[in-house]
Amino acid sequence: MKVRLLRALSVATVVVGATTAAVTGTAGTAGALVPAKHTNVKVTIDDDGCPAKLTVPAGPATFKVSNEGDGSVSEFEVLSDGRIIGEVENIAPGLHGSFSLTLKPGAYSTKCPGGSEHETGKLTVTGTADTKLTPSQQSSVDTYRTYLEDQTAQLVTATDAFVAAVKAGNVDLAKQLYAAARIPYERIEPVAETFGDLDPKIDARKGDVPDKEWGGFHKIEQALFVGNTTDGMSDVATELQADVATLANLMGSVELQPAAVANGAVELLNEVSASKITGEEERYSRLDLVDFAANVEGARAAFDAVKPLLTGKNAALASQIGTRFGAVDAALVPYRAGTSYVLYTSLAPSDTKSLSQVIDALAEPLSTVAKHLVKQ
Amino acid sequence: MSGREHSARARPSRRGFLTAAGAGALGALTAGTVAGDLLSGATPAAADDALAGAQVPFHGLHQAGIVTPAQDRLLFATFDLTTNDRGDVVRLLQEWTRAARRMTAGAPVGSDNADLDAPPDDTGEAAGLGPASLTVTFGVGGSLFRKDGVDRYGLAARRPAALVDLPEFAGDVVDPARSDGDLAVQACADDPNVCFHAIRNLARIARGTAVLRWSQMGFGRTSSTDATQETPRNLMGFKDGTNNVVAEDTDALRSSVWVGAADDPAWMRDGSYMVVRRIRMLLEVWDRSTLADQQLTIGRTKTAGAPLGARREHDAVDLDATSDGDPVIPVDAHIRLAAPSEAEGARLLRRGYSFTDGIDPVTNQLDAGLFFVAFQRDPRTGFVRVQQNLATDALNEYIRHTGSGVFAIPPGTTPTGFVGETLLA
Repeated sequence: MKVRLLRALSVATVVVGATTAAVTGTAGTAGALVPAKHTNVKVTIDDDGCPAKLTVPAGPATFKVSNEGDGSVSEFEVLSDGRIIGEVENIAPGLHGSFSLTLKPGAYSTKCPGGSEHETGKLTVTGTADTKLTPSQQSSVDTYRTYLEDQTAQLVTATDAFVAAVKAGNVDLAKQLYAAARIPYERIEPVAETFGDLDPKIDARKGDVPDKEWGGFHKIEQALFVGNTTDGMSDVATELQADVATLANLMGSVELQPAAVANGAVELLNEVSASKITGEEERYSRLDLVDFAANVEGARAAFDAVKPLLTGKNAALASQIGTRFGAVDAALVPYRAGTSYVLYTSLAPSDTKSLSQVIDALAEPLSTVAKHLVKQ
Repeated sequence: MSGREHSARARPSRRGFLTAAGAGALGALTAGTVAGDLLSGATPAAADDALAGAQVPFHGLHQAGIVTPAQDRLLFATFDLTTNDRGDVVRLLQEWTRAARRMTAGAPVGSDNADLDAPPDDTGEAAGLGPASLTVTFGVGGSLFRKDGVDRYGLAARRPAALVDLPEFAGDVVDPARSDGDLAVQACADDPNVCFHAIRNLARIARGTAVLRWSQMGFGRTSSTDATQETPRNLMGFKDGTNNVVAEDTDALRSSVWVGAADDPAWMRDGSYMVVRRIRMLLEVWDRSTLADQQLTIGRTKTAGAPLGARREHDAVDLDATSDGDPVIPVDAHIRLAAPSEAEGARLLRRGYSFTDGIDPVTNQLDAGLFFVAFQRDPRTGFVRVQQNLATDALNEYIRHTGSGVFAIPPGTTPTGFVGETLLA
């Protein structure tokens, strides 16, 4: 469910030791140009939790996590200032999983939710990292960062207006403003999801979190579109506004790399496939197609930012993806209603099927972009 | 089902078709093996050495999966093309051929399966399972040549006359959503994972060019295509297809299954035509029928599979035998109406599978039956002729034809060619 935009370089690794960690540097796999400093970090988790202390050199690192417990712990996270920057979930006992990220020198923490002895651990990153981007990479990243900042500003403005209408008890106005606030969020959701608890607080659907913790957009959506009321929503709206403000403050701290931006585009299309095309996301307002279009717009912006880099490496792929974005746009046209989209309830199964097909056709080649961008 | 059947699959084929590696090799590939090792750059040849399981050659005069020994598992799927560019169709069939060549050798598709920064080319679930006798058989439907009146690929003039649209038969309740398709793929193997892997990866390769239209999984073969295979039973509990055309019957293959050198069009020579029918069995009704009724419906004994009036399965079917003036094999018995002698000698190579799709939501009854697959030289004198005879089949009370398709199966290919080349190149 949670997406990691800050995924970066990585190499293959082998299996593990005891509740300690071993660190090795390796050469890259065939076909992948991997920086010399790439580090493999072997981590074993068990029912006690995480290794108490890990030390890793700065630079790109792959965490290969094995679970030797009985299942009460199944997740390993790396956090920086309380924010998850990398994680692997649902590692069943006896199995392993991995993730990669680029680490700067400094103090980090690890977390293994449910661990009885060491639910958290220390991670020290030593030395200096070489995370310099080439000028063209920097240009791509800057382009996307500008988009992120612009969308974040829109999100704050639209959320403020929405919250004001909810607090004023103006149901009709709040319903109108709901979609406007959702759009910028859906365009940049994979980035928002990197900030630990913020995404569930802002965007959880009923059942994603324990009922008593449930808040954010969709709780207010339910009140507005099912109960036709704003009763009891004032505090929820206040908290939503605060969470969006926090998100906006954190946005500037996100480190971006071209491959991660490209993967963010794929994540947005996966969002479409998993929860928009099925009508799960906006189950009360039925504005799923609004989110659908916003996810695609966000994916397009991310792709456009890295397209100059990709064109230099695989022009045919860049062109194919451009064509398929066009096919998605064309497929959405019949469902436009003024400046918005028709309700999900007016879609026939044949409509959702053909929309799903164009998304799949686009997401498949898009998922191969990142590998071209990590190779210099 | 029997030891005999098992040994039939494990033995090296008389044509040298099966390259069985030692079973011990499989043991070395334990669950702990890192998938990436298996997936990285293994060539088909290397995979042969590393993986156990029988291999059926992909290349040949004819496509595999027709007369090669029927495996126990099927996943059949059809696709609709979403492109209007003939070049895209060619590229798809080339890529599909490449992928099938590797998968039938037990190798992963593609070349990039170890890069942690990219989705692997191969989806991975068949790693370590070996070739598992996988055959991948490709066909083209009538809609490839013209769809909704449009000749999308300039192929309309090349449609074989034998690739007919089936007429509506008595008792058909065919669902268009479970019928037809521009392209068809039959994946058969000893292991259902291997079948699923094949179709899944072909569907993935097709993304942006073709979409899945419908699919059907078969969990157990109901036909034998090799004289050494025992006749299996269908879900009615009967041995069906005792008099099938088998691999050893070269005269019948030539006259009834393969498109001949004198047949039109030339691009279909050494190919065949495939008819598929999803035949739902009303099993609850069947199970309430007396044994006598069941046997009179089929025309065979249930246990031995012998024709009524005879003792053993392979005894001759005597349609003229009478008892007290009545035919021993009733006039509406299935084996009488399906007999070649009743249809100008029409013979079909049947390669069907039992299927279930769970529970019928309307009736809460089992949604199960026979996925009928038959190959023939010409459906007009083959399936269509036989099926017309079956209009009065006593079996119709217990079955419904709910899905349908006819596909031209092009000839086989070479290590450098692709299936469909004779049509599209």
